[in-house]
Amino acid sequence: MKPIRLTIKLVWILVGLAIALLIPALLGSSQYNMVLVTTVLLYAVMATAWNIIGGMAGQMDLAATAYLGLGAFTTGTLLIRWNVSPWIGMILGGFVAAGFAAFVGYSLFRFGVTEVWYALSSSALIEVLRVIFLLWEDVGGPVEKFLPFYSWSLYHMRFGSYVPYYYIMLALLLIALFVNYRIAKSKLGYYLIALGENEDAAEVLGVDARACKLKALMIYAFLVGVTGGVYACLYGFIHPNIFSGLKGTEVAILGIVGGMGIIYGPLLATLILVSGREFLRSNLSGQLESLYLAIYAVVLILIVLFRPKGIATLFQDIYENILSRIARGKNVQTNTPSL
Amino acid sequence: MGCIYALIALGLSIIFGVMNIVNFAHGDFVMLSMYFTFWAGTLLGLEGVWTPLLTFPLLFLIGILTYRAIVERTLRQHYVTQIAVTVGLQLFLRAFTQIVWQAQPRALPYSIIQGQFMIGEYQIILSRLISAIVSVIAIVIVYLFLTKTWPGRAIQAASDDLDAAALVGVNYKRTYALAFGLGSALTAIAGGLLMTFQQVDPTMGMRFGLLSWCVLALAGLGSIPGLLISGVIVGGAESLSMALWDPRARSLVVYLIFILVLWVKPRGLFGRK
Repeated sequence: MKPIRLTIKLVWILVGLAIALLIPALLGSSQYNMVLVTTVLLYAVMATAWNIIGGMAGQMDLAATAYLGLGAFTTGTLLIRWNVSPWIGMILGGFVAAGFAAFVGYSLFRFGVTEVWYALSSSALIEVLRVIFLLWEDVGGPVEKFLPFYSWSLYHMRFGSYVPYYYIMLALLLIALFVNYRIAKSKLGYYLIALGENEDAAEVLGVDARACKLKALMIYAFLVGVTGGVYACLYGFIHPNIFSGLKGTEVAILGIVGGMGIIYGPLLATLILVSGREFLRSNLSGQLESLYLAIYAVVLILIVLFRPKGIATLFQDIYENILSRIARGKNVQTNTPSL
Repeated sequence: MGCIYALIALGLSIIFGVMNIVNFAHGDFVMLSMYFTFWAGTLLGLEGVWTPLLTFPLLFLIGILTYRAIVERTLRQHYVTQIAVTVGLQLFLRAFTQIVWQAQPRALPYSIIQGQFMIGEYQIILSRLISAIVSVIAIVIVYLFLTKTWPGRAIQAASDDLDAAALVGVNYKRTYALAFGLGSALTAIAGGLLMTFQQVDPTMGMRFGLLSWCVLALAGLGSIPGLLISGVIVGGAESLSMALWDPRARSLVVYLIFILVLWVKPRGLFGRK
């Protein structure tokens, strides 16, 4: 039974990948649609990276946009001032975000800030960064800083079309998923899951909770920081409003709704919810501008109320159900002749 | 300003302190009640100061409905689930106000308590002074309610030890509903007061929510006088940083204080738990 399941899983992954690769061919004619799918992927990358700190380690980090913004500002500033390629800039941005996360995480974990208070302080952090960049006129400031425009330059990561960005985002998503997978299978992953369930118990059993949480936070911040570099190039400007508290919270919510600790959960939640929201937004605009947001919110609440473990578990249940039915059907077929 | 923050945080501390419910939508209740105040002010021609008479029961009702419909189901869940649900609620309230009142800021056209006077060199804005006084009075009333009356003491008992309280005959379901309703209704007073000198827009909820958590963190759980002092500290830090440094820096200073307090004194300055 097991190898069959494995191949089925592999088929699923390949089908998903094929669809993902083909999307630009289907939608490529409409740049608007391409922006939408790229935005969905952006959320997917962040939510998937969030799964490391939030889903596995159980730390409610709401500061995804803080790391996104740091990455974006590092990349953007390096490009504008010193003409450093975003390909290098985004890696550096990742390191800046991870360094910042290390500083913040070390002090927060050192002083034992946990649960709700950790969530709140990470949310406050976004606002702190936003104001700092608003006041720091050399880098941020209240006016958007535009990246140099090129209709097609690989060195500057500026393309006239959104299709390349889509593929870059997709690559990042695959990397994030792979990192998730590797961590889940590693010692660190088991430690994280253990301390996510019960921190005190894990510590008693010899897990260095602080170090593990810090590692998870830094990996997550690095991934989101790199994404921030692409984000800056995608939209072509940097502005302190990247540091958005609501969006940071949203990333965490997508992680929760998807299913904490399930690798593909956040991805699934993003694909369903964010695409659904963007679809509603483009179709309902006009008479009732914010109706899409209300519907989105109600769906969110309903999912959390009736599936607190995440939509991924719902799919798992249905999937298992179908599989077992098929298996049973096969058994019946193979058994009848012998009877 | 600080006293109003204390009032908002008091509502939150009843909800969080008693039921351990992480309510991320509290600030949006403030925003909602500001919009109700706006309605009462423009449609009924009611004066901003008197609107809480109308909005207080309304918010109390909404609070209880919210509790029954959403929050009660998450009582036994992980706090993460509560965050998710209340953020959903926050998004909903924001979308709702955007639909009903549109996105542009709204303000009440006039107020009887306008004007200002001087004490020495300092200019005192009358509406702010009165708001501060009214908030303090409201806080005192809630304090008396919590310590002197039977339902209030039931709330306190439930916050100390739920099982023991249930043993001595506290109906915790009703107590919880009451506490959530009361906590939400307090935002009605705060909203009414805020509307006398501020305008409202749908994105305000998040700021007020985080601010009230800051005040709560500063004060620690279970200390009402502590809330008042912390509210004044937060309000004062805001005004000082606006006056002495940069108007944009006001949230920076407050949140830095918030993070520092969490590092140094995780139980707050006046906490009893």
